[in-house]
Amino acid sequence: MGHDNSHDDVSSHVKTYLKIGVTLIVFTVITVAISFIDFGGNNNMIVGMAVATFKASLVCLIFMHLNHERPLIYKVLVFTVVLAIVLFTLFISAHGDPLKDEGFEAPAVPVKTATAHH
Amino acid sequence: MSAAATTHDDHHAHGGDHAHDHHEPSFLYKYIFSTDHKVIGVQYGIAGLLFLLFGFFLMMVMRWTIAYPGQPMPGLELVASLFGEWGTYQLEKWAPGGVVSPDLYNMFGAMHGTIMVFMGIVPLGFAAFGNFVMPLQIGAIDMAFPKLNAWSFWLFFIGGAMMMLSFFLPTGAAQTGWTNYSPLATTTHYIVKNTFMTGQTWWLLAMVFVISSSLLGSVNFITTLINLRAKGLTFMRLPFFCWAMLVTSFLLLLAFPPLEVAAILQVVDRVFGSSVFLPTGLVAGTNHFDISGGGNPLLYQHLFWFLAHPEVYVLILPAFAIISDIIPVNARRPLWGHKLMIYAALTLGFLSFIVWAHHMYLTGMGTMMSTYFQITTVMISVPSVILLTCLMISLWGGSIRFNSQMLFASAFLPMFGIGGLTGLPLAFAFIDLHLHDTYYVIGHFHYVVAPGTIFALFAGVYHWFPKITGRYMNDTLGKLHFWPSLIFMNVIFGPMLFQGIAGFHRRWYDGGAMAFKNTTQDYLWSNELISFGAWGLALAQIFFIVNVWISIKGGKKITSDNPWDATTLEWATPTPPPHGNFTFEPVVYRGPYEYNPPGTGREFIPSWEEPAGTPAPAPTEAKSHH
Amino acid sequence: MEIPYTVTARPDTGLWNAKIGVWLFLASEVMLFGGLFSSYIFLRLGADYHWPVHVLNVPWGFINTLVLIGSSVTVVMAWASLKMRKWGAYKVYMAITIACALAFLWIKKNEYTDKVHHIAVKTKDGTIIEGHFPDHGKHWINFDNVTSIKLSTRESDPEYFLESCTTPSPKFTTPAGKTVSLDDAGLASIREEAGKEPSIDLKAATPLTFKVNNSPFPPFNTIRSYNDSMLSFKDGTVINGKLTDYKMTLQVTRVDVRDVADRSKSQAWTLMGAGWKEAFEHHEHQKLEHAKEHNPEADPYKNPDFVRHALTMEVHTAKPDPSHHAPEGVGELLQSFKDTLFSHAEHNGPVITLDPKKDIAFWSNWLPKWNTYFAIYFTLTGLHGLHVLAGAIVLTWFLVVDTKRFKNDPEHLANRVETGGLFWHFVDLVWIFLFPLLYLL
Repeated sequence: MGHDNSHDDVSSHVKTYLKIGVTLIVFTVITVAISFIDFGGNNNMIVGMAVATFKASLVCLIFMHLNHERPLIYKVLVFTVVLAIVLFTLFISAHGDPLKDEGFEAPAVPVKTATAHH
Repeated sequence: MSAAATTHDDHHAHGGDHAHDHHEPSFLYKYIFSTDHKVIGVQYGIAGLLFLLFGFFLMMVMRWTIAYPGQPMPGLELVASLFGEWGTYQLEKWAPGGVVSPDLYNMFGAMHGTIMVFMGIVPLGFAAFGNFVMPLQIGAIDMAFPKLNAWSFWLFFIGGAMMMLSFFLPTGAAQTGWTNYSPLATTTHYIVKNTFMTGQTWWLLAMVFVISSSLLGSVNFITTLINLRAKGLTFMRLPFFCWAMLVTSFLLLLAFPPLEVAAILQVVDRVFGSSVFLPTGLVAGTNHFDISGGGNPLLYQHLFWFLAHPEVYVLILPAFAIISDIIPVNARRPLWGHKLMIYAALTLGFLSFIVWAHHMYLTGMGTMMSTYFQITTVMISVPSVILLTCLMISLWGGSIRFNSQMLFASAFLPMFGIGGLTGLPLAFAFIDLHLHDTYYVIGHFHYVVAPGTIFALFAGVYHWFPKITGRYMNDTLGKLHFWPSLIFMNVIFGPMLFQGIAGFHRRWYDGGAMAFKNTTQDYLWSNELISFGAWGLALAQIFFIVNVWISIKGGKKITSDNPWDATTLEWATPTPPPHGNFTFEPVVYRGPYEYNPPGTGREFIPSWEEPAGTPAPAPTEAKSHH
Repeated sequence: MEIPYTVTARPDTGLWNAKIGVWLFLASEVMLFGGLFSSYIFLRLGADYHWPVHVLNVPWGFINTLVLIGSSVTVVMAWASLKMRKWGAYKVYMAITIACALAFLWIKKNEYTDKVHHIAVKTKDGTIIEGHFPDHGKHWINFDNVTSIKLSTRESDPEYFLESCTTPSPKFTTPAGKTVSLDDAGLASIREEAGKEPSIDLKAATPLTFKVNNSPFPPFNTIRSYNDSMLSFKDGTVINGKLTDYKMTLQVTRVDVRDVADRSKSQAWTLMGAGWKEAFEHHEHQKLEHAKEHNPEADPYKNPDFVRHALTMEVHTAKPDPSHHAPEGVGELLQSFKDTLFSHAEHNGPVITLDPKKDIAFWSNWLPKWNTYFAIYFTLTGLHGLHVLAGAIVLTWFLVVDTKRFKNDPEHLANRVETGGLFWHFVDLVWIFLFPLLYLL
């Protein structure tokens, strides 16, 4: 923690740790339960990842003390998370190509009308 | 503490600073398994220089077969005969009758790239100079985690040793280019009894070691730079050298893991028969592989280039770091735009993460992606130009000392300039369609890393040699090293740009003499020219090797701990710096480049020199400077 | 001469060295697993087959999640105890953490073993039949009447070759007419005779029989290719003989006909018998009824979730069970968990015999080779498992070896435990994403 943690300070956190532990377990049960329900399309993935992200943030914030950390750590982590997001989004968008979109190849208006505007 | 520090020949005299050195470590722990950042830096340096030399040897063999395809290479049989029966067997296998076989050419090509990039330049530029100079420049007694530092070196050593030993496996070393693209790389040396004992797999495993080494190293560098700076050394007073090392560390820290993923997944593909990088319906020659398919070769390229583009800046930034120290010292002028350069380096670092797929325009990736990557690629040229321009402006009005290191440093500027500018056309997909995988690309990036980075590394060796050994390198030999090197570098890489435009493909084993004669016949002579350039370059390096060798024991002794009249902290230590580096507690009072500061009448003011009339700082913790 | 700020924080940064170090290390770990998760996304988006969903053992994965969450709580409690200088409590919490780590690894090991024994076969028409080799054993290729052998002299060790030969102490004749057996002396004389040649032709004195393990797992497979009259090993050795009646026996647990053009004519029914076809049709019908009840308007066959449930059938539940559908309600869910954890229903499926040449397009056990899902599953969980192992080793070090530090420098030990704990939380955090991605979604 690096801060001047008096012993009382730490002991006051102990209950929080236990509460967070219980919350995590509850949300694990929820994750499993909702995975058997079909939300249609990609929604299951979105809901599942949302729950997982919530759980992960609890671990980060409380167990890893990121709720009160030094600015330098935040700077490093923000940079890392931005890069990780770049990695995800660019990898996902690598699958997209506007040329393959429906209606892209065929012009929406007849060619003659289109040239008439010039 | 006076700026005109005298030499500390016998640092053992300063017994008081060695209160904790209760016993002298044995030779093994002092020089081999040392945890001292300076020893580790020198270890990296020696290993890196040897790897560079070895990688260059591989290239000289390749240049023979490019210039004279199908003709026996002189000397090859002689070398083989030195190894007796085993040598003759290997010669028959890889170069029957002394004629370099295509497999050998592929192997040497792949290993040339791998060794130069991962075993030569990064260990030399980042690890060697960073390890030796950076802690001294920030006034630290060592790196933050000395044991981890030793681990970094030894992991690198294991990786390097595996790369070297892989030449002696029955399959030979990796043969699929330094990029090691799947599916070719996955399916080479694939159907063998034990896929672990193949060059391709060893390449991957060696890379995992080298990557782990880099990760540990960068953690160490960043922590040291953040927490062990001397009193008064605020971030904005850090020399650009340290900033460049900081940015480089972040590039290594965050870009290398995806390559580790690529290497691990390719090992899984090769050893466990999976298809992460192998598409459905893959057939190679007459081989129908017993695989599920369903994977994607593009994934490998994305993971690879996510590292390998930042890697380019890992090669370049240490070069800028070294040059940014040498130019102010020898031009006797402050570094122009110190802050600007810092911000440019940070921007460069960030942008380098989002340009990677400009290496992949020809993969059939979507047009949207292609457009995006063209934009970011053009953007990244801006900070690079800022860095170069700042260095050039720093020369303006200087009284330049053209010693060996300054010659290399000055040559770096135009050479890197050519390298950078020839890269611009490649940023555009429609030009890249023509130039992709030609010698134009080879010429472009070699201008960046060979007469660019390697010149900077040479400059660094000449510059810090006195601090490492207490002796100067010979300046005449240095100039004999420099001028032929400069000429031959251009003889080699200049014609490559024209060859590329003429359509010479980078992977031709015969230099284009056979299969593509219609395209190449008018320019085949340039193959010979380039090859002679390469061999000439090799001869020029003899001066450097001799110079290093004789100067260690026989060079002119330095008469001051600060032989170049420099201002940064590494010159405040005894020479060579003892374990623990400083004989006093270093405190920094000003910026790093106080050369000929106006109004002082001084030629230079070392950053550690106490301003007149300042009370001695209280010997407590470093001051907070938010 | 000591490195400063190893225990106390540097005032201006507010951090001690190892804390910066571990966070930087975790940043690189974020990129490592970021790269792996991106690969997962890339593979899943680009998959040209049905990405497996709910095929792993959810209850064990669930238990492992609880184990890791528990250990995350105990490790932070261990650190808090140290901060409060409660030595006893620290030891207990740390011991529980390490026990959790070992439990996690043990469960993972069992899951891996299950997958090794799980065989999946893709027939030529695209039907996927999964099951087990009845005796959990190996799969053999038998060769009879082998008289001529081309022995590779490149590799040093023909042990695998001799192990495959079921005729006791075989003797061979070399081209030069010498009679040798493949012991060390015999091999030496063979090598000498072969000289530089990569192989040598041997004649067997009497016809030999071979029984070669055809493991689908590449590291254990020695076969390059085979046909009716020859089998070549990966090192280049070739045996010539007669392939004896080559069949694969499989105890079926699951059938998947999603990729079959006409599922009433799937190869599964020819192999398993018409009774199972009826069972399947009944199963599909049930699912359809169920879907129509919920939403009469929509075409359920456009819903991949429905298709997955309707066009795959768990066979090992022994009879075409109309009640078999996705579990609903807490009671049913718990019952299904209990079944998956402890039952051995998979031994109840029908046993079929396949002709590898005629029926099978591709087969493997549930290992990386079977598809990219298992490749990324094993890579992700394998690397995560290595992290668990590494964490367990470090924490054990703190508990067992670093005990003196508690007396001499308790704050330093607390810092070390915090560093180790941060790593441990990260390992937990990765699993929080891995569990839904691999087991549930």
